[in-house]
Amino acid sequence: MKIKRKTFTASVPSFAMGDIGFLLLIFFVILARAQDDSHVQWDPAKLPELEMAGAPLANVALDTQSKLFLNGKETSPEQLAARLEAILGDTPAGQRNVFLKVHKEVPAQAFEPVIEAIGEAGGDLFHILEPDTEKP
Amino acid sequence: MKLKRGQVLIDPPASASSDIAFILIIFFLVCASVQPETGLGQNLPRTEAKEQEKEQSKNLEVSITPTSVVLNGSPMQLPEFSEKLTAALAAKTREADRVVVVKSASDTPYDQWIRVSQAIDIAGGILTLELASERTITVE
Repeated sequence: MKIKRKTFTASVPSFAMGDIGFLLLIFFVILARAQDDSHVQWDPAKLPELEMAGAPLANVALDTQSKLFLNGKETSPEQLAARLEAILGDTPAGQRNVFLKVHKEVPAQAFEPVIEAIGEAGGDLFHILEPDTEKP
Repeated sequence: MKLKRGQVLIDPPASASSDIAFILIIFFLVCASVQPETGLGQNLPRTEAKEQEKEQSKNLEVSITPTSVVLNGSPMQLPEFSEKLTAALAAKTREADRVVVVKSASDTPYDQWIRVSQAIDIAGGILTLELASERTITVE
């Protein structure tokens, strides 16, 4: 005599679909942000009366050791202008935002060629700084 | 005669509270990481070295060192520099006359440079960098 096995059906509850979708959305948002230059170590200079930044097309950063990064990848000042031109493409003026993040102690010999390269590429330079809230 | 309605109490399952807390943590982390950034905008026209070299002799010259600012040969501190630059630029109406040529010592920290840059911007000057390689770029 054969004994029939009981069959179990495991189904994913449909009410969990919203939660799963939400978690996936957050996962991809974090993943997209992980491609930026958040790993670059820098300490911003502080200034009073700053403007709010718009959305950047490119992020240029000079870290504590004066190493240059374009969108989180290390590059050289000589290559910067050409790479920026490729990123900015035919974007109209006023929307060619390039964020420049420079560690506050980086010397002029390191950051001035970077500013020059951004100018050569036709980028709209925006220095990323921290608001100085201390009263003089 | 009044009939009492049967009340149905539904408790949220306690096993879901950790999921809710986890999702709230992630939500606030993402919110914190997308805070808008602040800074200082500058327009950088493309390099026009030769034409600007002729004009530069008439323009104000600023040298930045790690400890001071030199305006037309006179060293001073930043507050005094801001006052003198504003006064010097007040009389100038032509855009070409408002160009301020900035030379920086190679060891000038960015912190000092950006303060001087902002002071020139507030005074209404058009910042032009003179680099060591004798190329100039204009910053409005």
